[in-house]
Amino acid sequence: MSSGGVEVTGLRVRFGPVEAVAGVDLRVEPGQALALLGRNGAGKSTTMRVLAGVVPPSAGTARVAGYDVRAAPLEAKRMVGYCPDVGGLVPRATPWEHLQLSARLRRLTGWEERGRLLLEQLDLGGVAHRVTAGFSHGMSRRLSVVLAALHEPAVLLLDEPFDGVDPIGVEATFGVIEDARARGAAVLVSTHLRDLAVQVCAEVAVLRGGTRTATVPAGFMSGDEGARAYRALLA
Amino acid sequence: MRTALSWPELSRSLADLRHLLWFRAATVRRPRAVVLALAALTGVTVAAATLPAAAPSPAELDGWVRPALAAIVVAAVGAAVAAGGGRELLARDPAAVHPIAPVTDHLGALVLAPLSAGWLIQAWALLALAAASAGPAAQPVALAWLLAVTALAQAVGWAAEWLRRRRLPAGLALPLAGAGLAPTAPVAAVLVDGSAAGRGLTAAALLLAAGVLAALGGILAVAAARRAPRDEVRRETRLHPARPTPASDLAMVRRIDRASVWRSVPLRRGSLFLGVAPGAAALAGGLDWSMLVLVPGLVASGCVLLFGVNLWCLDGRGLLWRESLPVPPRTVVAARVWVLAEVLLGGGLLTLVLGSLRAGRPTGPEALAVVLALAAVVGQAVSAALRWSAAHPHAVDLRSARATPAPPLAMVGYSIRLAVATTLTGLLLGGLCVAGRVDLLLAAAAVLLTVSAVRIVRAARRWADPVRRAAVVAVVAA
Repeated sequence: MSSGGVEVTGLRVRFGPVEAVAGVDLRVEPGQALALLGRNGAGKSTTMRVLAGVVPPSAGTARVAGYDVRAAPLEAKRMVGYCPDVGGLVPRATPWEHLQLSARLRRLTGWEERGRLLLEQLDLGGVAHRVTAGFSHGMSRRLSVVLAALHEPAVLLLDEPFDGVDPIGVEATFGVIEDARARGAAVLVSTHLRDLAVQVCAEVAVLRGGTRTATVPAGFMSGDEGARAYRALLA
Repeated sequence: MRTALSWPELSRSLADLRHLLWFRAATVRRPRAVVLALAALTGVTVAAATLPAAAPSPAELDGWVRPALAAIVVAAVGAAVAAGGGRELLARDPAAVHPIAPVTDHLGALVLAPLSAGWLIQAWALLALAAASAGPAAQPVALAWLLAVTALAQAVGWAAEWLRRRRLPAGLALPLAGAGLAPTAPVAAVLVDGSAAGRGLTAAALLLAAGVLAALGGILAVAAARRAPRDEVRRETRLHPARPTPASDLAMVRRIDRASVWRSVPLRRGSLFLGVAPGAAALAGGLDWSMLVLVPGLVASGCVLLFGVNLWCLDGRGLLWRESLPVPPRTVVAARVWVLAEVLLGGGLLTLVLGSLRAGRPTGPEALAVVLALAAVVGQAVSAALRWSAAHPHAVDLRSARATPAPPLAMVGYSIRLAVATTLTGLLLGGLCVAGRVDLLLAAAAVLLTVSAVRIVRAARRWADPVRRAAVVAVVAA
């Protein structure tokens, strides 16, 4: 068993005839934030879903905080905080009920104060007791980040956390990522927004066609030079 | 100037309806199954309209024609009012980006109205009665009646929805159903004993009425579409104060599942309708206990169609997040089964309580038969729901009052299969009760409950397979 973080080796995921992930290797150390970039269909979200325990791997291994997601799914899920790429909210439950569900299933005690603080931090305090069906896309994204961060997970998986989120919300999400990194969590951020990814992550991995094509320091991907380099990796 | 019902707009709505029907047909997942299902429905309809004419029929059948005509009115109007304007050809969210006029929406709901087990069974019963009592010559009148009643129900449905959106009780629209109940006596008389000319004239008049009612429905649909759906807005903006965290995982998961049912407009409205309407019919008809034993099956097979046939759609896209939570799959299944069983038992009990008001005091075997029938049909419905939900999931948002958990034809298939199974169960247990064989009654109920329990356990085991679960999650959260 490894010590922690995220460790993906030779990961493959097939959906019938389609191979969504075709041999990805990744490593995120505790206290490190890694951005996953790539075009639509590159395998980013599927890789995140495997790490979150939602999709079983077809081949290869995926370990989070030392637990194999296939061999010890419940233990792995306890270690992970996951913000899915789409929706991610039960439409007729309130944000507070989402927090209660997560806290109860993870045996958290005294979580209420942190829950309130996170909701305030992401500007959701005023809607904590309304069902999420009427939420805007940005509000839903922010609540998904709160849910992923509530239990201070050892591995924080954020899939498109900035999509449709206003600048204040983006800053608050940056705060959540920084906090997680500072307390030693491994953070994996999948996004299409390269400029935001390089601000908050130390390294960037680029996926293409279900495989990893490069892992580079975030500095190489910033600015106009970074944009050109990124386009070259996607081509 | 163009208005909602000017010819150019009507022509455009008809063209749009054609496009939408083509789109629905092109996006069917299993086209061969759809063709077979449509062929089977057509075959049963033709058989119902012709075969009874060949067999000798008792004279008292003539007396059943008028109640059959009225039953269609009650069932069709009730369904349209509860559904807030009938079925949608395209779900609301994907339809929002297209310029679909309310008249197109209305015409689509008219086309889809017959694709419900309630409508089909009533229609088959009427066609069979007409064939048995008056032969094939009476069928044009019966068919014209079905068309006119469907158009009337749709118009009443839109009127109810318009009232709801104006913050008025939807029930105020129900007296309009009287327009369908009033002519049942003359239409029944013509259908049974009318001359060829009389039948022709009646059929023509009914077709004319259908056209007028379809146009009236279009006007009401336009009026309703000008206002926001109030029930949904109210549910989505209501505050739900925090309650203490439950003491167990099962209780917590169950609380979320219950909220998903009772905070959904179509599920809440449908559950109450299915609990009250059959009970009210049983009360009005003064059914005795030997007939009441059949009622829980009808209620269960109706209630399970509200969300049971696609159980995992309750979470919508939230299923993706819920799957990442550290909870054993068996706890998730147990909570979902519990909540579904609650709805089915609640609906069944409410119906039985209403029906019992005029049924008198039951004997011991009668009470036992009713209780066992309720338990057996709930078991059958739950086990079927678990199996179908895993085998054929659909991405559905049950936010709209008009939403259904599966496509119309699939719903017909589910409802007919369940209605047949639960009715046979009721007949078996009721028959054993009438025969005074309490021992066999208990044995039959035990067998039925055991079969359901085994199927539920098997379905729960299948849900524990992460590959199967991931396939369902991928579809539901799509």
